[in-house]
Amino acid sequence: MKRIIYSCPYVPAEWIAAHGLQPSRIIPDPAASSAVRRPADCRKTGAGASPIGPVEGLCPYVRAFLNEAINDKRACGVVVTTVCDQMRRGFDVLTRQCNIASFLMNVPRTWQTFAAQKLYLDELGRLSLFLVRLGGNSPTPDALAEVMLQYDAARRSIRASRAYLSARQYAEAIAALGQEGPAQGRKSEMGRGVPLAIIGGPLTRGDFDIFDIVEQSGGKIVLDATETGERGMCGPFDRRRLHEDPLTELANAYFGGIQDASRRPNSELYRWLGHELAARAVRGIIFRRYVWCDTWHAELQRLKEWTDLSVLDIDVAGDTDTERRRWQNRIRAFLETLT
Amino acid sequence: MRDIPRQTTLRQWDQRYEQMQKAGVAQPSYGGLLSRHIEDGDTRLLKLRYDNSAAALRLWNFLLTEEDRLREARDRGKKIVGTMKDLGTVPVMAYSLDNVVAFYPDGAWWTPCVMELNAGLLSIADSLGIDESFCPVRAMLGAFVTGSRFPIPELLICSVGATCDDFSAIAQRLDGLGYPILWWEIPHRRTPEPGEESVKLPGGFSAPRCQVEFVKAELQRVRKALEEFAGQHLSEEKLSAGIKKANQVRRLLADLRRLVFGARLCPMPALEMLVAEMLAIHFCSDRDEAIAVLKELLDEVRERIKEGTGLLRDDAARIFWVNPVADLQVMNLLEDCGGRICGTEYMFTHALDEIPENLPAMEALAQMALADPMVGSLADRASRICTEIRRFDAEAVVISRIPGASHCALEGQVIGEIVQAELDVPVLEIEVPSLTDSIAQALRTRLEALVEAVRERRKK
Repeated sequence: MKRIIYSCPYVPAEWIAAHGLQPSRIIPDPAASSAVRRPADCRKTGAGASPIGPVEGLCPYVRAFLNEAINDKRACGVVVTTVCDQMRRGFDVLTRQCNIASFLMNVPRTWQTFAAQKLYLDELGRLSLFLVRLGGNSPTPDALAEVMLQYDAARRSIRASRAYLSARQYAEAIAALGQEGPAQGRKSEMGRGVPLAIIGGPLTRGDFDIFDIVEQSGGKIVLDATETGERGMCGPFDRRRLHEDPLTELANAYFGGIQDASRRPNSELYRWLGHELAARAVRGIIFRRYVWCDTWHAELQRLKEWTDLSVLDIDVAGDTDTERRRWQNRIRAFLETLT
Repeated sequence: MRDIPRQTTLRQWDQRYEQMQKAGVAQPSYGGLLSRHIEDGDTRLLKLRYDNSAAALRLWNFLLTEEDRLREARDRGKKIVGTMKDLGTVPVMAYSLDNVVAFYPDGAWWTPCVMELNAGLLSIADSLGIDESFCPVRAMLGAFVTGSRFPIPELLICSVGATCDDFSAIAQRLDGLGYPILWWEIPHRRTPEPGEESVKLPGGFSAPRCQVEFVKAELQRVRKALEEFAGQHLSEEKLSAGIKKANQVRRLLADLRRLVFGARLCPMPALEMLVAEMLAIHFCSDRDEAIAVLKELLDEVRERIKEGTGLLRDDAARIFWVNPVADLQVMNLLEDCGGRICGTEYMFTHALDEIPENLPAMEALAQMALADPMVGSLADRASRICTEIRRFDAEAVVISRIPGASHCALEGQVIGEIVQAELDVPVLEIEVPSLTDSIAQALRTRLEALVEAVRERRKK
């Protein structure tokens, strides 16, 4: 099956899958992608064709994603969104550096107007044209509804398993759903410790160690509010609306249901956090952000002012190996203050 | 009272001002010694060099008295709206109402430069969690918190969507501090799909009809908010009149740019031209006076060209400049290094293009907003830069990075590659912080090398 890669949570996997293509929400690996020299399908020659190296001011996640997309030989298409300005600019680099079919999806930052919601829906229509050009089939409402039910069931299953999984397994289950689609059977292993939340943008592959580090330090992530975690999963579909108008329900669930720091205003993110932090009796927050990610960085101080919980700031520059030890020490110290 | 064109220091300007006074040269109400602004803390002025024309003096005094003008406007009962980020569109609407004055709080990004960090605005931004990894526009936060730089607007309107993340994040922080913002969406301008209706925008870019309609609807929301704010109906007639006035400014600037960038001998320095271009976005809070200031500047340029006089060496390297500089002094530095500005793209070319007057007002404004070079692809932006380089026969390009700005990390590489591939001119990318004193020598070396490269290429 032809594979379509993306990373933004506002790209509905169901929509791609319903076109008969395989959606794959990639979790880039900064270290691996930097090691690759030159993509075989690059149309350019010379220095410009090599993966993007460290650039002053460039978010390490954006860099890792672009390098991964450039070097992904199994993907037949890539979907980038406008949710992050550097990703939007990165799209221009992507289209210049390799031949992979690429699509830039406009995801509005405003969300309170009907016009913004309609724009998102229209963009799904445009995405459909792109997918059809790549060999996909425009789905019937019934076909879409069927795929939506599969994903909905998988998400319900993952959510239900939260209490029985370690934080890492839970995060990996969510990531696996995005990468590989619905699957059955997850191992159960429950950890204990001081309940913490992790909040921020998307994780890269090596970052999943943070869940282990927390557990080894006497804590447990009970709320994964990263973009690759629970916060980036859309809520359950309304079954009645799903059958009446599946595409609109899909748009509502994704555009209306996923809260992000990039939204304007982003008050709903805090409302969601307020509810989830209380419901899970969280005692401390790990705020994980990329250096040069203005969207999340600007929320750090606001979050500290907003919550009574202790907040630990972990900034990530993309060099996971070097940073791991620093995280370990900081997380241990943080948990000592909470116990 | 005209003199041989040259660049002067602030102190020399004061002496000249005394002479002008004695000669009976009339000054506008905001006129006076430039050095008086030092007392307000604008100490960077001591390090800049200025054009010695009366027109330039008027321009500088107009710029440096904007805060007073805003306070006076409020005292006279005018309502003040802070328009943010869109750089040129919403002010056209706001100034169509007779009881509203609009300005860009974003302009505070120059305060750390002009006041050489003395205002402490960046420290306040630091304390709010917006540190030096953000664009200098973070000074805006400090300006709001202290209330010392401009009167706090009663209404804030900010465009969001295809905009810089740093500005959007800072504006959201402001909103979170209790300054509510009306957000309006400007989508990323995309290429029309096959078979999709396309609209040719002012300036030459294209956008799908549905995007123009979307932006029109967003601007209708803004229009409604402005009407409620002003307590006035913003009729089609008023909007059309506002567009005509804005176009007056744009035409003057177009003439000014064409004459200055095209002249054999540079008739107006880069710094004054930068300030003049900035008048396009919100008229420095007085639309009629902005027109008068530009007319005088244009007259001066015409006279100089007619007389065959000007500044700088006649073999100065013709440089196209991309992005505004956070430190104004760098404009002087380029000229010191043997360059002159022949073409600019300060991120608001859409505010320099004439707004169509033959279209319904909201359609015209929507088209203009979508013509923003920053909301489209880098390839679009680069292609317009190439067109302008050809138009002004520029020999090299400087891409000036704004520290911490989200668009700067990748744009230089793409724009540079496209420009070099299309025009084969040297491209230099530099970063200009709010104060360049500590890196002045390094900047000088790089700019001199660029000028030298231009001169070498002339020999071939």
